[in-house]
Amino acid sequence: MTGTTDGAAVTATPAAGVPLPEEPTHGLGASLPAADAAAKTQGTFPYAADLWAEGLLWAAVLRSPHPRARIRSVDTRHATEMPGVRAVVTHEDVPGDRGYGRGTADRPVFAKDEVRHHGEPIAAVAADHPDTARLAAAAIVVEYEVLEAVTDPQLAFEAEPLHPDGNLIRHIPLRFGDAEAVGEVMVEGFYRIGRQDPAPIGAEAGLAVPRPDGGVEIYTASTDPHADRDLAAASFGLAPEQVKVVVTGVPGATGDREDPGIQLSLGLLALRTGCPVKLAATREESFLAHTHRHPTLLRYRHHADAEGRLVKVEAQILMDAGAYADTSAEALAAAVSFACGPYVVPHAVVEGWAVRTNNPPSGHMRGEGALQVCAAYEGQMDKLAAQLGLEPDEIRRRNVMATGDLLPTGQTVTCPAPVAELLRAVTEAPLPELPKDTPEAEWLLPGGPEGAGEPGAVRRGVGYALGMVHMLGAEGTDEVSTATVKVSGSVATVICAAVDTGSGFATLARQIVQETLGVEEVHVAGVDTDQPPAGRACHGRHTWVSGGAVERAARMVRTQLLQPLAHKFGMSTELLQIADGKITSYDGVLSTTVAEALDGKELWATAQCRPHPTEPLDETGQGDAFVGLAFCAIRCVADVDIELGTVRVVEMAVAQDVGRILNPRQLRARIEAGVTQGLGAALMENLRTTRGQVRHPDLTGYPLPTALDAPDIRIVKLVEERDVVAPFGAKAVSAVPVVTAPAAVASAVRAATGRPIGRLPIRPQAAVAQPVPVPQH
Amino acid sequence: MCQSCHVRAVSTYRTAERNCRDTGEGAAGLTTHAPHASQSVTLPASLDEAVAALTAMPAAVPVAGGTDLMAAVNAGLLRPAGLVGLGRISEIRGWQYLDGHALLGAGLTLARMGRPDFAALIPGLAAAARAAGPPQIRNAGTLGGNIVTCAPTGDTLPVLAALEATVIVAGPGGARREIPVSHLLTGREMLHPGELVGFVRVPLLHAPQTFLKATGRTGPGRATASVALVLDPARRAVRCAVGAVAAMPLRPLEAEQWVASLIDWDGERGLVPEALAAFGDYVAAACIPDPAPPQDGSEPVTLPPAALHLRRTVAALARRALGRALS
Repeated sequence: MTGTTDGAAVTATPAAGVPLPEEPTHGLGASLPAADAAAKTQGTFPYAADLWAEGLLWAAVLRSPHPRARIRSVDTRHATEMPGVRAVVTHEDVPGDRGYGRGTADRPVFAKDEVRHHGEPIAAVAADHPDTARLAAAAIVVEYEVLEAVTDPQLAFEAEPLHPDGNLIRHIPLRFGDAEAVGEVMVEGFYRIGRQDPAPIGAEAGLAVPRPDGGVEIYTASTDPHADRDLAAASFGLAPEQVKVVVTGVPGATGDREDPGIQLSLGLLALRTGCPVKLAATREESFLAHTHRHPTLLRYRHHADAEGRLVKVEAQILMDAGAYADTSAEALAAAVSFACGPYVVPHAVVEGWAVRTNNPPSGHMRGEGALQVCAAYEGQMDKLAAQLGLEPDEIRRRNVMATGDLLPTGQTVTCPAPVAELLRAVTEAPLPELPKDTPEAEWLLPGGPEGAGEPGAVRRGVGYALGMVHMLGAEGTDEVSTATVKVSGSVATVICAAVDTGSGFATLARQIVQETLGVEEVHVAGVDTDQPPAGRACHGRHTWVSGGAVERAARMVRTQLLQPLAHKFGMSTELLQIADGKITSYDGVLSTTVAEALDGKELWATAQCRPHPTEPLDETGQGDAFVGLAFCAIRCVADVDIELGTVRVVEMAVAQDVGRILNPRQLRARIEAGVTQGLGAALMENLRTTRGQVRHPDLTGYPLPTALDAPDIRIVKLVEERDVVAPFGAKAVSAVPVVTAPAAVASAVRAATGRPIGRLPIRPQAAVAQPVPVPQH
Repeated sequence: MCQSCHVRAVSTYRTAERNCRDTGEGAAGLTTHAPHASQSVTLPASLDEAVAALTAMPAAVPVAGGTDLMAAVNAGLLRPAGLVGLGRISEIRGWQYLDGHALLGAGLTLARMGRPDFAALIPGLAAAARAAGPPQIRNAGTLGGNIVTCAPTGDTLPVLAALEATVIVAGPGGARREIPVSHLLTGREMLHPGELVGFVRVPLLHAPQTFLKATGRTGPGRATASVALVLDPARRAVRCAVGAVAAMPLRPLEAEQWVASLIDWDGERGLVPEALAAFGDYVAAACIPDPAPPQDGSEPVTLPPAALHLRRTVAALARRALGRALS
């Protein structure tokens, strides 16, 4: 079932509003726009920060100014006495479990004896005005005994325990093949990846409303409402049924973007005051509170034979988890498993550690673990190519993996792995033209339109990178999702607690129901925890599990709808077709409408989708840990001003393994967004700290790529090789371009400057080539 | 307060009601109403009225484009008791000619200064204005705001320093005084309470001017270093200022004099590449000097790599700026 789309032709029509002639207008394969697109662009969509309840109070959170300190005392007297203040809560007011956390529950709701990172919450205040709440929070007197912060992950092993659970969160010593194998050629490298922030456009916000039955409802932009409900109920000392999380629109997310701590503070204050309580985090709070990408140190040694075929990969991966474990164990598993990249490697020795420090907390971020190692193994491939005198694309071609090859975890790659085809597509794509026909004044040089770029100092480099990610949770997590489909009249409704974080799941759910039931008008209900759980919105889960659940439910409705007709007509349901609201038999003789067939009835069906189980990695890092893999190849063309070290990425040519295209426009948008986020990690995004103190927690100090920074993103090929175990054969598309793009940019800058580029984001001083410029690659 | 001032006290904020149990039944009580904070806003129509408003309410803060001020307000760092909006003072939003000088209103927006008619007049200032952030910021941000904010990365500041501009300050009772912009930026002279920057007087030099800015990115960003360079053929002088590397723009006076002496002012004005490079190095070494050798005769301290990179950047910018001005 191999069909490929000529992506160049697809993307050559930038008029996004015009569907391609052969494209259907609804159902799978259509470029259906999102149902809430108009409301979101017009600013009428109510996000959590826009919510209002009569008589609401405002919350503010007091956060630690120190990365590590012992709390001697917390005196809330001044705050409580301030007029307008209704409640002040500290760790003493947390009735239930004192710990919470996404992966591991090791994080207190409010710091008790010790603060472990800059910005850790200590107390929260509810008052009748946001300013009063903020002033009251500032009036809480905390006596700190400042302790020396451990901020270098390399020192975490020897340092005194920063947490009762110890400093080593996970260690995976992966052994694959012969640990003693040696290649004819060896290259070594040291790589350092910075702390990328999810930087959602809307900062965290929420509204908690107490219920008359003693429970509480939390309105927030949760990406995993059921997990958040369970955390909240445990912290509030309530039964899960007494807490309801209602998901408002998510303003910009890449997976888990939220700090659940804010929801907990809100719920506690609402329960305490008996009033609705609202909080809209400042940008600074948002940067301090939510989790970031793991800063990672990587040491690599690649062994190859004289022809450039990989013999062995040795790697040490040290991930800085920050103060709390969160999903670090999972990120480390991904980093270790993909440490060799999408290449055939007969022998591997990979040691991975995730350690605790007093740095800002790390957690889930698109492609966590996989991004860091991709930058390193692709750097190694460039080094090997230079050592052997091969072209960078040639060395990759000699090593790419295919279906049936083994990962270093011993797992066989059973899904389609068209890596060679992807690499060929990006190497064969024509290079962007030099702007020689336009006047020099109009050239967009590194440094921008009014920058200092000078054509004589600019060198162009071409770099390649191949990346891979896993889809769905790994290592035995139960990745189940449940969905309900209802048909009434000519309208279908999908009820599924899968949060659309901007990934387009809601649109996809509509398309699936259109496809299966032939009903054009499909609504997707809002998400709350009264619905059955669908799990978290990351790792492309919802396309797979929730999409699969929606399809099954829709099929069940279809059977219910057709069964009586089939009986009446005396034929099996398979011989009946539904299209455009009409039911026709295969021969076109018998025909009726959906509305008639329904006869005023409502049809409901609920179904689950549960992918095949996985197993945890064992003590040598072996195991079938992943449900599916997705691959991507990127060729990056970058201009570097070799005197100033400024980089402008001119073009990113992307070829991606997508399984099946379900919504072409949405798919392209996701790839472009992913590449741009990866570009940010490569060139500018790094939340800097000084001894654990976050230095610039704002969008001036933490620049994000703008339209001028974003390159031309050309999708040269989308390989549609359906994954037989995935519903519809579709693969997750968002994460793998994020993972691959930084490595591609680094490779291009390497080619332009001849400098090693081992650190991301690339600093200007690392991209300066002096005195004699290296000839163009 | 004078009559034409519009004083508004907005206080539509709703106070919380004590008995709110009955509204706490979930989504039923939810709306998307956004509350407003109370604030006193004055919108004078002339410079003197603005000065009067500030004198009458010393706690009030003048606001023009608000690109720095409102960011601080939003971040909760500043909560002014009142605002004196300068946006309706038409006399400071344009410019006029005055014996060989241009008198620029402090309320000129960066976007306006970036337009071609202004660029024909003072090309260096226009280039800096065009480089100063994204369009939204340039549409709001003003020349006067750039001066009084006095951020090290203020893009117009090195140009004003290189032009040796003077600032005309309006004070109570219609008083006007003139301060060299460098005195204001270095803190040698300060604005007194109730005073406002009204105009900036800039000489019209009728010669090439350049402004080059290094940022870490292609999109709009704060300068890591910037160089403004103007030629003054009448005085046979080159004036150069380096921004963003220190708290205020730096003038490498010796380098200016040295390079001015090399230029054939009556002829082609061009310089050989080696001279341009030497000028760049001269400027960079003046702005980012080597640390003083230790007194005890031990191993001299070298600059950290980041400072060395900054010095290289300044050298390249100054070399390119002079090359473009002379070409």
